Amino acid sequence: MPKLTIDGKEIEVEAGTNLIEAARRLGIEVPHYCYHPGLSIAGQCRLCMVDIEKTPRPSIACNTQAADGMVVHTDTERVRDTRRSIMEFHLINHPLDCPVCDQAGECWLQIYYMKHGLYDPRMTDEKVHKPKAVPLGPHVMLDAERCILCSRCVRFCDEITGTGELGIFHRGDHSEIGLFPGRDLVNNYSGNVVDICPVGALTDRDFRFQVRVWYLDAARSICTGCARGCNIDVHVNRRRPHHAEGKRVARLKPRFNADVNAWWLCDVGRYHYDFVDAPTRLTAPVRRNNAGTAEIAWDEAVSGVAEALRRYSPDQVGVLASPRMANEDLLALRRVLEARAMRQVAYDVPPPALAEGDDFLLRSDRAPNRRGAELIGLGGDTGGLMASARAGRLKCLWVFHHDLLASGWPAADVRQALDRVETLIFTGTNANAISERAQWVLPAAAWVEREGTFTNFEGRVQRFRSAVEPLGQALPEWDLLGRIVAALGGTPAGGRAELWFRELVRTVPAFAGLSYQAIGDHGQLIPGATSAGAPTPPGRRVKVHG
Amino acid sequence: MTATRTIVFSPDQLAEVRRLQGLYPDKRGALLPVLHMAQDAFDYVSLEVQEYVAGLFDMAPSHVHEVVTFYTLYFQQPKGRHVVAVCHNLSCYLAGSREILAHVKQRLGIGVGETTDDGRVTLQSVECLCACEAAPMMQVDDRYELNLTPEKVDRILGELR
Ligand code: SF4
Ligand code: SF4
Ligand code: FES
Repeated sequence: MPKLTIDGKEIEVEAGTNLIEAARRLGIEVPHYCYHPGLSIAGQCRLCMVDIEKTPRPSIACNTQAADGMVVHTDTERVRDTRRSIMEFHLINHPLDCPVCDQAGECWLQIYYMKHGLYDPRMTDEKVHKPKAVPLGPHVMLDAERCILCSRCVRFCDEITGTGELGIFHRGDHSEIGLFPGRDLVNNYSGNVVDICPVGALTDRDFRFQVRVWYLDAARSICTGCARGCNIDVHVNRRRPHHAEGKRVARLKPRFNADVNAWWLCDVGRYHYDFVDAPTRLTAPVRRNNAGTAEIAWDEAVSGVAEALRRYSPDQVGVLASPRMANEDLLALRRVLEARAMRQVAYDVPPPALAEGDDFLLRSDRAPNRRGAELIGLGGDTGGLMASARAGRLKCLWVFHHDLLASGWPAADVRQALDRVETLIFTGTNANAISERAQWVLPAAAWVEREGTFTNFEGRVQRFRSAVEPLGQALPEWDLLGRIVAALGGTPAGGRAELWFRELVRTVPAFAGLSYQAIGDHGQLIPGATSAGAPTPPGRRVKVHG
Repeated sequence: MTATRTIVFSPDQLAEVRRLQGLYPDKRGALLPVLHMAQDAFDYVSLEVQEYVAGLFDMAPSHVHEVVTFYTLYFQQPKGRHVVAVCHNLSCYLAGSREILAHVKQRLGIGVGETTDDGRVTLQSVECLCACEAAPMMQVDDRYELNLTPEKVDRILGELR
């Protein structure tokens, strides 16, 4: 392993490590645009110049591998001067429209100009103009004038998705990023080019002009779009609610996890959060009876539901849990079932159409926690449960999240079942055909409004944290279920998600030995599980060229 | 010239494509000559031709489009019987290429990238053609015309049929 010196500090790195990464490990930032650890090296932007002793000229750090005895300087006068000149080159034709650019505040042209530029511009000629606000597909907007031609987006489409939509056309100062005429940037991962574009050339059509990035707060979380559980940051706008018409969740961004999603996120997951701030959110417990529909207080709802559960014998009650619920919620539900010795529980409601996975991250199982529901023992015969409801053997049905009337079951069968039960209870985040007719509606907090864990398809338990407060009176499911456990005479694990998790670890062997602390930011496999790590991108699997 | 035709190489042409591809460690090396073949065979490299060629190289059409737009010698539209390419790079510029180009435009009555109505001449303005010692210069079809003056330009253009 080569040992080298960077800015007077010694470090040993694995062979093949480039100077940007070696310096990063010492906490030294070498400014760069085109280098991205998930992509091939292009050496295109020239910003990463460093001085290497015994080398006559500055060299690019991205394409220089650490070598034994190398002595590198990242902050000599010559390096600073080179950076300034390169910045000046990058900005020659740049429109400098930061005031109307959505990237402002997280733009590497701005950041590096302030850190390494600060020259007096000498450009007196008319700048070259290029197309602005060109939609590249459903999610991405291009401003070709702002592009610094780092080619990250091009390499992403070649090396990650293998779809090759983007190219750099024309030449010299007329070079511009674009699509083959008549084609669109449509692949399952198109949103990632916005993340990796260092400047405001590629912006997200969904996020554009919603809120300035400096008003955003972030929370570490997990995508709920499918069973992979990609690691994300949830960006929320709490400080300027009037900027996005009260929409609190502004965007989801990938968070690096080498074992799950690397740097990437699919578009299905990236844009799967609209329900959080949708007008259909359930914000107060509801009781519906002959006297009408009324919003009620939690105490009343909890005792009402507990009383309904007590009124029937355990075999007259059926529960349809959901693989969208967190591990903590599922355990709390199990405690409710145990309190009344209820046995008819299941979670597998067939979707209206089988979702498709792809050959990279996206799984056909679009629920984040099917594995958890199975391990916590809530699996059962869903079809049988519905059949006994239709036969009139169930008097009470409790549905979590599912819209049974928009499921894979024939609507007539579902209607027949719903008509025959006396008491229908619904728990979920958003209104649907089931909540509309339920006698009791218990509003649940969305995942970004609370803490918890999901178990992904490989058995990796991952934590998500709360980014905003629950809307209205909505409660985390472990909380509302805990209250029902108490009303039925049991003892809830406690008033924090973590306490439910501890009980899960104590009582369900599949989770033995885990803890919030050990799960940390990158997840922890349940005992016995193995992980294949983040899959090899399709663009690397098939040889696209020659 | 603009009549539509199927964009497919003949078996002989395909054999030539394969021969050219075999000359390089990465077959993409043969892209330039194959694009020239396509331009000869189909008059110009339309988007359809670019997609066809991309298929022969297992490349995304966007990357063929990169190459076609990079070089001035590939035509994406039908071109005139003659191509006049005036150099506008530094040496020629200093030696008066701006006036030469303006003169050519005026004599032909077209702008850069355009073709005269009679299909006689297509005009281009291009980067350095490597004849700085004889600036200002232009390329007419396969010939270099050097040390241009307006009078010389008139004579050269007058000879194009
Ligand atoms: S659009 Fe962005 S990512 Fe793509 S080449 Fe330009 S600056 Fe780089
Ligand atoms: S692959 Fe699954 S978990 Fe990852 S972003 Fe897409 S939907 Fe979310
Ligand atoms: S990061 Fe090294 S040249 Fe761009």
